[in-house]
Amino acid sequence: MNPTVNWRKWLFGLIFLAVLIPAGLSFYRSRHLAEPVVLGPGVTGVKKLSNYFPGIKGSINDAKIYILGEDSGRGSVLILGGSHPEEPAGRLAAWIIIENAKMKAGRILVIPTANPSASTSTRPGGAYPPDYSIKTPWGEQKFRQGDRWSNPLDQWPDPEVYIHYPSKQQLAYMDVRNQNRTWPGRHDGLMTEKTCYAMTQLIRQEKIDLVIDLHEAELQYPVISTIVVHPKGQDLAALASMTISAEEGFDIGVEYSPEALRGLSHREIGDWTEAIPLLMETPEPFLDATRGKTDQNLLLTGRDEFVRKAGKHGLLFEKLDEKGWPVDLRVGRHLSSIIVILKTWSELRPDRLIEAEEIPRYSEVVGKTTGFYLKDPARAPANRLFFE
Amino acid sequence: MSPTLSALFILLVMVAAYVAAQLIKLSTELSIFVAAVAGALAGGHWLPVRQIAEGAITYLDICLIFLTATLFMNLVREAGGVAFAVRSILKRFHHQKVVLFLLLVILLLIPGALTGAGSVTVLITGSLVAIVLKYMGLPETKVAAIIFLIAGLSAAAPPVSLWAMMTAAGINMPYVGFFLPLLIPCLLASLAVIFILGWKAKPVDLEKALKEIPEPPGKMNWWRIALPFLVFLLLILAGRLFPFSFPVLGLPLIFALAALTAFLASPVKLNIWKVSIETTQQLLPLIGTLTCVGILVQIMTLTGVRGLIAVSVVTLPVAMVIASLFITLPVSEAVLMWGAAPVLGVPLVLLFNTRGFNPVIALAGMSLIWPLGDALPPTAIIGRLTMNVVGVKEPYSKFLKQCLIPGLIIVALGMLMIIFSKQLGFLAVF
Repeated sequence: MNPTVNWRKWLFGLIFLAVLIPAGLSFYRSRHLAEPVVLGPGVTGVKKLSNYFPGIKGSINDAKIYILGEDSGRGSVLILGGSHPEEPAGRLAAWIIIENAKMKAGRILVIPTANPSASTSTRPGGAYPPDYSIKTPWGEQKFRQGDRWSNPLDQWPDPEVYIHYPSKQQLAYMDVRNQNRTWPGRHDGLMTEKTCYAMTQLIRQEKIDLVIDLHEAELQYPVISTIVVHPKGQDLAALASMTISAEEGFDIGVEYSPEALRGLSHREIGDWTEAIPLLMETPEPFLDATRGKTDQNLLLTGRDEFVRKAGKHGLLFEKLDEKGWPVDLRVGRHLSSIIVILKTWSELRPDRLIEAEEIPRYSEVVGKTTGFYLKDPARAPANRLFFE
Repeated sequence: MSPTLSALFILLVMVAAYVAAQLIKLSTELSIFVAAVAGALAGGHWLPVRQIAEGAITYLDICLIFLTATLFMNLVREAGGVAFAVRSILKRFHHQKVVLFLLLVILLLIPGALTGAGSVTVLITGSLVAIVLKYMGLPETKVAAIIFLIAGLSAAAPPVSLWAMMTAAGINMPYVGFFLPLLIPCLLASLAVIFILGWKAKPVDLEKALKEIPEPPGKMNWWRIALPFLVFLLLILAGRLFPFSFPVLGLPLIFALAALTAFLASPVKLNIWKVSIETTQQLLPLIGTLTCVGILVQIMTLTGVRGLIAVSVVTLPVAMVIASLFITLPVSEAVLMWGAAPVLGVPLVLLFNTRGFNPVIALAGMSLIWPLGDALPPTAIIGRLTMNVVGVKEPYSKFLKQCLIPGLIIVALGMLMIIFSKQLGFLAVF
């Protein structure tokens, strides 16, 4: 072989290894980062999705379900964080409920990472940070950044076109890994479809009344700062929206789930179970395609000059000023909305009462920060400490 | 430093690094890589290995489709299928120019449409079609222009159009509804190209032409050619007709199974290992480009350069943007090749979407214009490849001159699709 070619092959081989090894270690660490969850006073049990559908056992998506309160014939709500893990306010709100809430009546079931697989990857081309840290009074707690779609390491290849079950509607091929396009799920489907199927079984077996799916949206997307609800929950959402706008210090709209758009939680859960699904969106400038430098700072502060410029040209569906959309605001909006929805539900259906306390409201999270409500895992008894 | 100034500085560093790399004669893909690393350094990220590795796999699926589809087409060619098809068409229709042109266009469109790469069309069917066209009395530069322009349109044609796929992926838009908006204009434009440039073509001297086209194996027939294509079609249809019982194969495996069928149906024993190695070598520059473009896009996103470009584009007056597309799209393709789609295509489609255009039709229109840039320096890979395959000895500028008028027609067609995208929305059905 030509010595020059040989030398070049060695050089490129070494450069490849120099990138591959540290990058591989970084991907490995992200995938295996253990996120501590300290069980709060209200948690009475922890189950897994495989308790409701054994077909998911052994899969990375056999997600944990944290149960607050006792089954006493009162109402039950299921709260989903991390259907899209790249939308951190939903996961953080779910964490705060698990670690702080107490039940007076009824039950709250929380899945903080509804798509664990999607929480283990970041988006190629998106330049996401691998993780982010929330400051707390006892130090920092690190969370995986995650993506919108299940990790291709867990579900691959994608079909040439994704055909939704059971509607047969054609959707984008990658959305076969999008947990908010695979409801109500399929028992013999791909992993993400099986995950939704398992959650549908959970909703049926636990006689869940309400499902609240926590999301965030880019500001260039019209469905933002809103509650999207199945038609059977119209009254509940409209009343809650009015109360939130009047009492909680921020405005939130209501939209009805379109019948033609299949696979989404706010449509399929309502169609296939007794529960009323509500999906909530807060603004996350980090997701906008016109965003500038992509880093943890943008994720947590929601401040971006380029997205603001797009706003000045009328291209955004939510306001964005120099204060941005800090994560505390976004987490607070989700928590206050949950409080008001549960209160409104209990007023409408006293026979299916769900009453919780110690869930911080918007004003409290904005005042004290998200980290204030996260518990120190070092001080938790071993039997009250779990990991996501 | 403000975010705008910072991103602008990083962009300038990236451009300078790219130009410097080109000046020292590095390949396009390595120049793109050098620009990405320079951007990361200028942004204070040093060597962000995780981001580089993640960017490198952005288009992994597309690379796999590219490899398996080209292997499939190469096996069909090695089996003598392409030569058989060209000879059969020539024998049957050499007196009927219109039918002959129509069939030659279809032959040219298939490889690029299935693989997403114009270079595959040039290599698989381009060389044989060129022989036919030369024997019709057309000058070599005209023949090269016909092959190049239709190869570009074949790359934009469905089912695999990399510009549309990459742009759609960049804005979470489904790659659905593109079939007709891509197929109809690609077919019309291809026919326009061959009839305009081949207007003065004379009837083929059959005997001489057949002498130059390789003789296919004796046992080759239409069934042997059609079988692998039928397998491909059946597997696609099975996935669509029985989505809940037929296993998900994915396009790379479907192409690989079609390739296996081509291998088994071949009348001669093929050395599949040799063809695979040749396919990989043939595609290495293109796969290298896709890999390095992924890295470039990742670093541009990391540093805010992509945001700067995106917001600069989406805040321009839309009329000015459309009016400049005939330059911006081919030039961006000439510099970045497919990288033009995520870098420029994404903000453009966002702009069109927010201004009420139909994003699918607009993107299909843009996909028609992009391939023209493959004839322009600094890359001009496919333009030069076509010159070599056709055997043109005249200057490159003469070839470009022949491309000019049909090229302008393609640009006009693409721009009309963008302008009237709303009215053409009915085409975006599957």
